[in-house]
Amino acid sequence: MPAAKPERHSAASHPATGTDIIVIGAGLAGLMAAVFAVEAGARVRLIAQGWGQQLVTPGWISVCDRAEDDVIAEVRGYAALHPEHPYGRAGDDAMVGGLERFRAATEAVGLSYELRRKDGHNMRLMTLLGGIQRVMLAPRGLAAGDLTDVRGPILLVGFAGWRDFFADLAAANLRRQGVDARALAIQLPDPDRYWDLWPGDLARQFDSALFRETVARQVAPHARDVERVGFPAVLGMDDHPRALDDLGGLIGRPVFEIPTLPESVPGVRLSNRLRRWLLRHGARVQIGHPVVRGVVEGRRCVGVEVQSLGHSTLFRADHVILATGGLYGGGIETDESGRVWEPLFGLPVMAPETESRAEWYYDDLLVERGHPIHRQAGLRVNTRLQPLDAAGEPVLDNVYAIGQMLAGFNPLTDGCAEGIALATAYKAVQTALELDE
Amino acid sequence: METTSVDVLVVGGGATGAAAAYDLARRGVRVLLVDQNDLTTGTSGRYHGLLHSGGRYVITDFDTAVECITENMILRRIAPFAIEDTGGLFVATSQDPDDFPARWAAACARAGIAAEALTPEQARALEPALTRDITAVYRVPDASCDSFDLNHGFITAARTYGGDAWIYQRVTGFLTDGDAVVGAELEDTRTGERRRVHAACVLNATGPWAGVVAGLVGLDVKIRLDRGSMVAMNIRWVNTIVNRLRPPSDGDILVPVGTVCVLGTTSIRTEDPADTHVDVSEVSTLLREADVVVPGIRHGRALRAWAGVRPLYEPPAELAQLESGHNVSRRFAVIDHTERDGLRGLVTVVGGKLTTCRLMAEQAVDVVCRQLGVAARCTTADEPLPVPETSPRHYHQLTHRVHRLEHGEMPGALICECEVVTRPQLEARIAAYGDQPVALDDLRRDLRLGMGPCQAGFCGYRAAGILHAAKGLSPGEATRALSAFVGERFRGVRPLLYGHQLRQFYLDELIYRRTLGLDALLALDQPQPEGVSDAGSEA
Ligand SMILES: Cc1cc2nc3c(=O)[nH]c(=O)nc-3n(C[C@H](O)[C@H](O)[C@H](O)COP(=O)(O)OP(=O)(O)OC[C@H]3O[C@@H](n4cnc5c(N)ncnc54)[C@H](O)[C@@H]3O)c2cc1C
Ligand SMILES: Cc1cc2nc3c(=O)[nH]c(=O)nc-3n(C[C@H](O)[C@H](O)[C@H](O)COP(=O)(O)OP(=O)(O)OC[C@H]3O[C@@H](n4cnc5c(N)ncnc54)[C@H](O)[C@@H]3O)c2cc1C
Repeated sequence: MPAAKPERHSAASHPATGTDIIVIGAGLAGLMAAVFAVEAGARVRLIAQGWGQQLVTPGWISVCDRAEDDVIAEVRGYAALHPEHPYGRAGDDAMVGGLERFRAATEAVGLSYELRRKDGHNMRLMTLLGGIQRVMLAPRGLAAGDLTDVRGPILLVGFAGWRDFFADLAAANLRRQGVDARALAIQLPDPDRYWDLWPGDLARQFDSALFRETVARQVAPHARDVERVGFPAVLGMDDHPRALDDLGGLIGRPVFEIPTLPESVPGVRLSNRLRRWLLRHGARVQIGHPVVRGVVEGRRCVGVEVQSLGHSTLFRADHVILATGGLYGGGIETDESGRVWEPLFGLPVMAPETESRAEWYYDDLLVERGHPIHRQAGLRVNTRLQPLDAAGEPVLDNVYAIGQMLAGFNPLTDGCAEGIALATAYKAVQTALELDE
Repeated sequence: METTSVDVLVVGGGATGAAAAYDLARRGVRVLLVDQNDLTTGTSGRYHGLLHSGGRYVITDFDTAVECITENMILRRIAPFAIEDTGGLFVATSQDPDDFPARWAAACARAGIAAEALTPEQARALEPALTRDITAVYRVPDASCDSFDLNHGFITAARTYGGDAWIYQRVTGFLTDGDAVVGAELEDTRTGERRRVHAACVLNATGPWAGVVAGLVGLDVKIRLDRGSMVAMNIRWVNTIVNRLRPPSDGDILVPVGTVCVLGTTSIRTEDPADTHVDVSEVSTLLREADVVVPGIRHGRALRAWAGVRPLYEPPAELAQLESGHNVSRRFAVIDHTERDGLRGLVTVVGGKLTTCRLMAEQAVDVVCRQLGVAARCTTADEPLPVPETSPRHYHQLTHRVHRLEHGEMPGALICECEVVTRPQLEARIAAYGDQPVALDDLRRDLRLGMGPCQAGFCGYRAAGILHAAKGLSPGEATRALSAFVGERFRGVRPLLYGHQLRQFYLDELIYRRTLGLDALLALDQPQPEGVSDAGSEA
């Protein structure tokens, strides 16, 4: 657990030691805001109730999935036309800066995230079901599966009896889309032990060289005439880069990973390493503690109250970055009466313009345009990412909202939520520390 | 065209039809039951789960109350495997009319319903979640009843006496000979295949569809269709059935069923026997009303909402005057169309309660037997049903499953974590369908797959992968099977998407759209019609 020592003072009595920036939330947005702020030399405290969505996502970074060619150019064009969109608010520099700094930061913790080599187009990565998603950036293991220039056949390897990957079905769906895919089921040693085997459990097995050899021995004979070999994204936890290279070497073919159902091993790898990096660089990291409210004096937030072990502690800071994840993360709440609210500061939420919550969703779950609630429930911000009131005026001078807290995009359908998390994390730090001036 | 001959064809595999098939088989009549869907997918699979003591009807509908208490005692005796003896409470609060409890208790005494007065303290000792505002409270012999298990019991028993049941067979028309019905035409609702069944008599036990089915031979049977909604809360807030002690109204009852607690119901007039829509406003009503007796429950996590359609039979003139369905008689009718319409060979049974299904069956079968000249008398109340050992739902109690799982008695991968369903169980169920098509929703009804808190967010993909392999499906078929299942799960949570369940479905939707890419795969081909795959049933 984090080495942070929570100062136990009641909110009323002793002011706790201040920091420059408090980040609330340990999703992609909050974690990266903390990293960017530390890199900029700020004293940072990261407080989160739990880890964010990266623990359950595929692990890739969607910047603008629908882009047919140059992704950055597409986002620039879109942002220019839609200044109220989070990309428009954050601005081009933040989008590019966020992506670059993210790549550098992940590289620094030993997990490289790769773009498609030449052209800045989206990659085409396969799913567990044999679908194909377009995404711009992905951890090396996933990126190695880019189907854009696949030439020869690919082999998909599943584990007999394992519940979370059906290689036959994935291969069959890929073949319908013109990809020459084959499936192979290999035996795990002692399969009866594994009735409740999570992706993370398997990933830890792949940290062992012996285990990798057992796997490679079964796969190699079937891999001779294929171009690459795909596994579910469980190729190592702590020792992932080695596991990936080593397995490829043993099999004699490049190996790639396919995102699994939650838990997301790529997300766990990233979270663990970023946390260690933050701690090593002097940040305070408190995960497992909910912030119960922001303490406001006039137009400034002086700090946040954190609940832990029955105490409520006030942590002070000059700036607060709100990265609490919107409807999913807990940053925006809803109830049966159709109320939609932001619980920590009572910030004005842009709620769906509907008479009752009956209209939050359409009847068909997978409706192409997505459900109204997801696009609409969020905070409106200005170009400094300060939450706005109904009149368009900032509510607080030193609070910035990022990631999925923002209104105006649908994280389920628009294919840009992760790009927005990075761009706005970058922008918020720039603004708070006045680096952009 | 394939043709079959039996003595009696029972149309409808709800509680009434299943009990009738059992009754007929026991009387030595060759009986075949058919349903357009799986068994227990009509009103019987969408009901509130309460084996009535009769207390609810004792003021408004005294005869029904008497029937309920009599049948309650009989079903406890003959089908204990389907019943959990939770007991029931009737609770009056200061919001309710204060002259009601005394009148009610007196009527219970007349009806023979043992209503034991408790002090508020005794009631709260029994059910600590109850409100402090109790003005009167009684204990009655209500119970929680699993209609799937009960129906399985009837059908299994009918089979042991030589009867049979076919599912996914819809009656599309009757065979007639002069002024007599002599059988029916069936259509397989999955394959479209048609067949004929010759029968000396047909029993129309199609619940809310009874009017539609009678209409197939031009008869006019008027049924008032009354839709009621229910909401399942994710834990057992109470272990005893809790009824409001007031004149019947919306949101009166909380029923503990398995691991959940079901709030119900409402009463909305509808014209469509398949209308299972739940309005957001009904959810609000149910939560608000339940919160009066169990404070705080409205902030709990609501898992799933569904609705069923009550088939209420009343002579047409009376129908028009009554405003709310709650006050229409729950009594049932057995219509001998010989007398009423001059058509022999057809009997309709409609109305009633699940609690009185055996009695309805008995009276309907008496009429059928009179037509057939069969003298045997009803003996269904005499002997317990054989416990349906083969019932896949036999181990439906979650705690049993967890125990077996943890003690190595259920080997194989855990597919549905919420309801504890393993891969070998799924594979065995799929195999049991032989060459019949299987929808994931069938496996849900059989095994409770996907019925827990996550509503198939995780098990959907896994079950589709297993089905793909076991049935040799094409990838398109497997993908559509998943999509149909997921869509059906969504329909049942849509009215509850706020708070926790909104977050849950946000995750589920992201898994389907992003992690799996289901939407894009569906777009690869024109979806084929899925037949009747979305026939829902809950509990
Ligand atoms: C299965 C899945 C697949 C996805 N796939 C894609 C995709 O392909 N493309 C795409 O663009 N997007 C996708 N997304 C969405 C995308 O990942 C998210 O939008 C993005 O990660 C948002 O990150 P965030 O940091 O804003 O919020 P979150 O990750 O939700 O983080 C919120 C954080 O705030 C904390 N928090 C909340 N309230 C409090 C409090 N009171 N006190 C302390 N801490 C608090 C939470 O504990 C959490 O740490 C997917 C999401 C899921 C779940
Ligand atoms: C909201 C609600 C709550 C209720 N709660 C309770 C309760 O707590 N306790 C209680 O005792 N009772 C309760 N009831 C009443 C009870 O559920 C019904 O009275 C009972 O289930 C009716 O059973 P049935 O067999 O007559 O009809 P159904 O169960 O509807 O069966 C009719 C069957 O006929 C089939 N069918 C229709 N047309 C055709 C065709 N053309 N060919 C072949 N098959 C066909 C249908 O598929 C269906 O399966 C409730 C009802 C509702 C609506």
